[in-house]
Amino acid sequence: MDEIVFWLLPLLMALLVGILCPVMGTLLVTQRRVLQANLISHAVLPGLAVSVAFGFDPAVGGVISGILGSLLAERLQRNSKLNEEAVINTVLAGFLGLGVLLIPLLNLRLDLEALLFGDLLTVGWLDVGRVLVACLAVALLLGTRYRQLVYLGVDPEGAASAGLPVRGLRLAMSAVTAAVIVSAMAAVGVILVIGLLCAPVLPGLRRVRSLRAAMVQAAFVGLALSGGGFLLALPLNLPPGPLIGVACVVLLCPLAGRST
Amino acid sequence: MTFQFLEEPVLRARDVNVQYGDSVVLENVSLSLQSGTLTALVGANGAGKSTLLHVLKGQLRPSSGSVYCDGDPIETCRERVVLMPQRSRIDWSFPISVRDLVDLGSMNGQAFGCCDREAAMQRVGLADLANRRLDELSGGQQQRALLARSLVQPSRMLLLDEPCAAIDPPSRDQLLLLMRQLADTGHTLLVSSHDWGEALDSYDRVIVVDRSVLADGPPAEVRRSLKGLVNPGNHHCG
Repeated sequence: MDEIVFWLLPLLMALLVGILCPVMGTLLVTQRRVLQANLISHAVLPGLAVSVAFGFDPAVGGVISGILGSLLAERLQRNSKLNEEAVINTVLAGFLGLGVLLIPLLNLRLDLEALLFGDLLTVGWLDVGRVLVACLAVALLLGTRYRQLVYLGVDPEGAASAGLPVRGLRLAMSAVTAAVIVSAMAAVGVILVIGLLCAPVLPGLRRVRSLRAAMVQAAFVGLALSGGGFLLALPLNLPPGPLIGVACVVLLCPLAGRST
Repeated sequence: MTFQFLEEPVLRARDVNVQYGDSVVLENVSLSLQSGTLTALVGANGAGKSTLLHVLKGQLRPSSGSVYCDGDPIETCRERVVLMPQRSRIDWSFPISVRDLVDLGSMNGQAFGCCDREAAMQRVGLADLANRRLDELSGGQQQRALLARSLVQPSRMLLLDEPCAAIDPPSRDQLLLLMRQLADTGHTLLVSSHDWGEALDSYDRVIVVDRSVLADGPPAEVRRSLKGLVNPGNHHCG
């Protein structure tokens, strides 16, 4: 029984993350918020460290910290009219640095490598539960705000002009993005998750006629990437997270060849 | 020179000033638009056309001055005015069909404007392309898709920000004809443009701006009054 759980739980986790990340990623790619997602993926670290130090669920601290990073970048950019990419990357580096500093400062015993790159083979039911909560958050966002998100993606100025709560929608997206990233952390780590958010979205994005169809297509690609990567990693005795990250790049190569 | 009407205006701006720090974008702009008219808002790049449209929509608060729609302050009735953005503001690669884009006009459960989604697509001549992606359309068709979305919104006051920019002359003529038909059926349109060419004759009225209103009247009259100030040969739709 233990041996089955040893195999099945990581596989289940890989499949769930393989669906969840590309669905959220489709939203981020079409809203041009991948850079913000990358910032959030790094900004979760200080929150994780503080949560562990004070005995809270690391996921909660990670989500809060991710949202704070995103809000800080947005505020700095809006108030100073500085270059958005430069501001985001600076905040990203700052939060990552703070996270790394907090580990010795708070005297924590954290496996930084597992946080950054994931360790599928050690996942437990709690990790699966976190992914299910993130799935629920994504479903709630899409179920209640789908049309508004479409409007915001295709015409941000028009969406504001039509009276949509643009800042609220972006904040909700940041919060759900942070929840997805933190939940996927155990599988692929906060660094590699960006590959699983983006790569599965791209093959079909130019062919579909709706955001919904793009999400479904990306979920299938993500499922194959994540599940395939995990099953390939076992016989090769390689860590699944990095292998899935490499598979994401391999997926893009034929696409680049087709467009030239 | 000012254009005189006896009828109560649908949209009216009074002494509008917009200033960012030391930079004056609009200075004492006053204008009024009558129902069922097609008006061109002409000026060079940076003349303040887009800023004026955003002020008229109520999206940008002027430094001083006021805007009224049907006699009410614009801040209380923004939904009565539709602003169609410049093409460059739209993500044309977004995965969405023409039908779904037009449908966004009825966001928030608002009542339909002059027509429902299907009728709006029919009206702009895109019914046959309803299932196409936006990036499969030509520039002119993309503008008409945006116009169809505006028609679904519950308003008859349309502000169009450079709809003729970067489209070919036949598409521009088609768009002008469509705008004329809309004006003839009761819509009020204010269309920003760079165009000093023959296309100006398609409008009922032309307002020339360069921070302030330089001229306002029928196309031929405005051309005469500005003769010498501009060289029409140097300006094209776009």
